[in-house]
Amino acid sequence: MTVASGFVTLRLASLSFVLSYRAAILGTVLLAALLIAAASAALTGSYPLPAAQAWATLLGQSNNTADQVILLDHRLPRILTALGAGAAFGLSGAMFQTMLRNPLASPDVIGFTSGAAFGAVMALVLTGGSILLGALLGGAIAALLVIGLSWSAGLQPNRLILIGVGVSLFLTAASDLAMASLDALTAADMARWLIGTLNARNWTDVAVVWGVFAALLPVTLWLSFALNRLNLSDDTVTSLGLPLSPLRLTITVTGVVLVGVGVAVAGPLPFVAFVAGPIARRIIGGGRPAILAAAATGALVTLLADVAARAIPLVHLPTGVFTALIGAPVLMWLLLVQTRKGTL
Amino acid sequence: MDHPARLKAQDISLAFAKNTPVLRDLSVDIPDGKITVIIGPNACGKSTLLRSLARLQPTDTGEIKLDGTSIRRQNSRAVARQLAILPQNPTAPEGLSVRDLVSRGRTPYQSALRQYGHDDASKIDEALAMTGMSHNAHRPIDALSGGQRQRAWIAMTLAQDTEILLLDEPTTFLDLPHQMELLKLVQQLNTDTGRTVAMVLHDINLAARFAHHIIALKDGRVLVEGTPDEVITTATMAEIFDLSCTIIADPVSGTPHVIPT
Repeated sequence: MTVASGFVTLRLASLSFVLSYRAAILGTVLLAALLIAAASAALTGSYPLPAAQAWATLLGQSNNTADQVILLDHRLPRILTALGAGAAFGLSGAMFQTMLRNPLASPDVIGFTSGAAFGAVMALVLTGGSILLGALLGGAIAALLVIGLSWSAGLQPNRLILIGVGVSLFLTAASDLAMASLDALTAADMARWLIGTLNARNWTDVAVVWGVFAALLPVTLWLSFALNRLNLSDDTVTSLGLPLSPLRLTITVTGVVLVGVGVAVAGPLPFVAFVAGPIARRIIGGGRPAILAAAATGALVTLLADVAARAIPLVHLPTGVFTALIGAPVLMWLLLVQTRKGTL
Repeated sequence: MDHPARLKAQDISLAFAKNTPVLRDLSVDIPDGKITVIIGPNACGKSTLLRSLARLQPTDTGEIKLDGTSIRRQNSRAVARQLAILPQNPTAPEGLSVRDLVSRGRTPYQSALRQYGHDDASKIDEALAMTGMSHNAHRPIDALSGGQRQRAWIAMTLAQDTEILLLDEPTTFLDLPHQMELLKLVQQLNTDTGRTVAMVLHDINLAARFAHHIIALKDGRVLVEGTPDEVITTATMAEIFDLSCTIIADPVSGTPHVIPT
């Protein structure tokens, strides 16, 4: 183990990994914040659970059915789905923002999320189920559409963002239109889901989102080496001997799958993918893409938004209302910063 | 020219749009261990030639050969250990430190599972020292002056530890003292480490002063190439730039110096 300038190099046989102290410490702080937020989300609400009682329920040592139902059937799945979906959105957002070198190029701004939502709605309308498959397919088609339309002798991030915003608005409208064919009750349900909601999640949702996230995490860790270089110019990346196009394809596929699974379990939670990256990059610093920190930030933002949604009694506001409340000001701030710097 | 050359362009042609060729059946050798400067008027294909030599720009026909094999058919990572290029206007994310940037130059020797080899640190230190950037190693790139920033980028290409170094207009946006400083650094790298350097320069007099070999392009073709004395003549200046001039010996270096009339 050698230490050089705020970095520690971990070596294992011929393998070596670089970790910055700052990233390690602040990453731990972020994880601690996540744990505290998750614990308080589990204990508070319209039915408060004392910590000892909750712990006993968790370990299966409680005979209180109400406690069991509240904690194990309602709160835990909801919290774990929030964390998983938020992490998937955050990870995906940071990957696209780094690859396209623009914080506006997150999947929820450039239409990939709307595509996944539209796919999910269509799956429901046409088959009455397979939301996950629909979301994955919808996200992939939206990605193909946006990238294809903006392609001009290579990937053009600025064109991609403008076309993406257009495609996003179009697909959102298409989702609304598709709901017209549903019966009133399902349509009302879908309308809430289209804002992004974590109401009534179950353990299947948890398994789906965490299963996909766990499967893709090693891929994203492997990609983070490349992402740490893709934030330089295309010419530099090629000159360093990295395969630009295969990397972009792998990143796009991984990012779209993450968005698809997030949308399938939580709806197109607005702005989570968008805010996670910039916040994480500011926390970690040093111009690094901060992929993992972005996942943790996405999870934290989603969980806090959901806690806020639950805190308003009776109305059952969708979680997406609160992620939008957090995200929209960040969007405006980034637009102002980028306009001032001329990097928009 | 019979000087040995690892890097060659053979009959390359390239057009960005139909009927507007940028390079036409162009063949050049980049002589080993020398400083080669590519000159020519705007839009004559200087940068395109350099980018093609570095496999950043695919050609329509012809081949770029490195050690006798087409550069396209070689592993890009292996090429990156032989040849480094500093492109025009490179960009780095905000907040990236000089040392972090320079360490990116080690990429061809690294992978996701081997992120920091045993000689990476010494190569990075060496590159920082050679460019005089050691004391700035921990400053963010965006806090540096233009001249320092360019040195940091050159340090990154040096950390790549290649025998061939290509520089695309490395003196753009620099004032004269910084241009001199940078070109002296390039000269020193060539003398001290024997690196082959090929660069695009706008300033003919600086080209004449620092080059061993000059390639003059016009309309995507090599008009003339050779030593500064052979290339920088009133006849070539007239032909390349439509410039009428007299040529004197630079009182400092003795190399040809163009005085427009």
